[in-house]
Amino acid sequence: MILEVKGGRFSYDNKKDVFSDVNFSVSSGELLAILGPNGAGKTTLLRCMTGMLKWKDGKSLIDGSDIRRMGEKKLWGIMSYVPQARGAATSYSALETVLIGRSSNLSLFSSPGKHDIEKAESVLEELSIAHLRDKPLSKMSGGELQMVLIARALVSDPQILILDEPESNLDFKNQLIVLNTISRLASDGICCIFNTHYPEHALQRADRSLILSGGKTIFGSTSQVLTEENIERTFGVKAIIGEIETPHSVFKNVVPLKLSDDNALIEKSDDEDALASITIIADDFEKANHINALLHEYGDIIIGRMGMPYRKRNVFIINTTFDGKKSRIEELSHRLSLIPSVSVKTVYQKDTEQHK
Amino acid sequence: MKNSSGGRLSAPWIIFLIVFPIVLSIIALGSGRIWITPVDTIKAIISKITGQQLVDKMVMSTIVNIRIPRILLALLAGMGLSCAGCAFQSLFANPLATPDTLGVASGASFGAAFGILIGFKMLGIQITSFIFGAAAVLMTWAAGSGRGKGLSSVVLSGIMIGSLFSALVSLIKFVADAESQLPAITYWLMGSLSNASYESLIYGAPPILLGICVLFLLRWRMNLLPLSEDEARSSGVNIKRLRAVTVICATLMTASCVSMCGQVGWVGLLVPHMCRMKFSSNHMSLVPASISFGASFMLIVDTIARSVSAADIPISILTAIIGAPFFIYLMRKSGGWQL
Repeated sequence: MILEVKGGRFSYDNKKDVFSDVNFSVSSGELLAILGPNGAGKTTLLRCMTGMLKWKDGKSLIDGSDIRRMGEKKLWGIMSYVPQARGAATSYSALETVLIGRSSNLSLFSSPGKHDIEKAESVLEELSIAHLRDKPLSKMSGGELQMVLIARALVSDPQILILDEPESNLDFKNQLIVLNTISRLASDGICCIFNTHYPEHALQRADRSLILSGGKTIFGSTSQVLTEENIERTFGVKAIIGEIETPHSVFKNVVPLKLSDDNALIEKSDDEDALASITIIADDFEKANHINALLHEYGDIIIGRMGMPYRKRNVFIINTTFDGKKSRIEELSHRLSLIPSVSVKTVYQKDTEQHK
Repeated sequence: MKNSSGGRLSAPWIIFLIVFPIVLSIIALGSGRIWITPVDTIKAIISKITGQQLVDKMVMSTIVNIRIPRILLALLAGMGLSCAGCAFQSLFANPLATPDTLGVASGASFGAAFGILIGFKMLGIQITSFIFGAAAVLMTWAAGSGRGKGLSSVVLSGIMIGSLFSALVSLIKFVADAESQLPAITYWLMGSLSNASYESLIYGAPPILLGICVLFLLRWRMNLLPLSEDEARSSGVNIKRLRAVTVICATLMTASCVSMCGQVGWVGLLVPHMCRMKFSSNHMSLVPASISFGASFMLIVDTIARSVSAADIPISILTAIIGAPFFIYLMRKSGGWQL
């Protein structure tokens, strides 16, 4: 399943475009983050993409067919939308809310039956929020509400999940819960798209990113899109992208330094060739296929490769050596690190680091 | 209330909601200036059906010719108004949206008064009443809802549209014939069920029953109504059609009630709220509860209206006198309202 947007343009008043010439694509199992400053039109982009607003130009395609010709019922059987959780207007219980997500599976005059209730309960269970079953939405905390809204979207078994700022307004722990859920859904093969204010969430989670700023978009794999230059250009903040190493993996984060000067020169770093080696430990044999598929895409720069299962601990160890553009190696290393329960580390040859 | 089955009513509640209005009706049939025991009441109904002579002729005629149509009208009007109130509240995602506050009742009143002025018969009055009721709700919707507008703007524009139509009603009163039409319009506007007859029921009942049936069947779908635009659309349900059907049904019921018994306030606000407090906002249980309690409430009020004094007290006076304090009590006790 591939969701594509081609040549998208939108304007509320036909005078000034909110954005124009938007092009991107996401496929099953990938996570796309949409970033941009407040008011850049992130929510508008989501609404256009899903057909809730009409593109002035361009179109959204699912597996090559225009979503406008699919019909609402079929479209929303494939796609699910999680709105921003801005406090609930209703006092439905969590179970009732999730059951509402089954509406498109029901005929006009029927009501949810035993099967629907079981399905709703299993989704609540899956997201570890079964205890909220009978709690009214109006009495829930922001994190609880967000998880219930995600459950409502998942109950119709979507192949594409679209989330509008799922982690904003949440505390530290709840942000992690929501982001882990999204990562897990993506690795289960759902195509996920989410809006966010936080560059580090995109860096830590997303395969691909789209930056929206001043009506223009930058789209590509996260490690190439979310660079210090692009962050400065988009948000007007001078920031450094740092790496924090833990025994298992390397995590990227963004540290804002200061507001950038208007006429600051933005230097573009050169993309040099580098020699590097990536070590991967996957604690799940199924993940090995996923990793192999990813490595295959970068076959042209691989110069050596070793993989072995280690039955005693039930893990799979892969060692790969690369000679190629540093940006591609970084991209692969980043994509690997997004797979849950996989430990990844990249070692670069010292000399090339010094050139920089 | 714990919903173990997705908001379905439990069996004892279903039985209660069906039996309660029936028992009330039997008691109400016996009450009034002439007191008839419930046993005699049932006998009279049986003898009407079977054709036997089980009770006194006068009792028989009081019950069959005077009280049955009036009680049917009270039940219908109560069901219709509270079901319409419940639908409007959900439709506008606003606990204050009711036939009265949205101006629908005023619009329908104007339509009915206009019909009386022109000299229409019952069916014609129904139609003009529906047309102007629908016009009022559309005007309120156009003026008060939309992007960036809060909950109160719908109610504010409803009040404005309502007062516009009230002014038009006054205009009709002003031009109406002071000898015959003016008293008829004035008395009817205050709300009374005393004109109930089998003939008016034949024209008035079908629209109300139709509206109730449709909304009852759609009750699960109605849960989508209070959601935001994006949420509702992303459920994959044709939300525009659902809204249109709900507006038409609710307006049809309101207009039909208004054209039969005038502007009876409070029922559409009070009853759905009481039901929301007890049965939560899930329409699976809310719609049947509103229908049953609406019918019962109206029946009780009307029975009081015709029993306490020889002259019939206009019913909207009583609904307000009973409704306002009771509602304030409920509101303070439950700490506000929520859909």
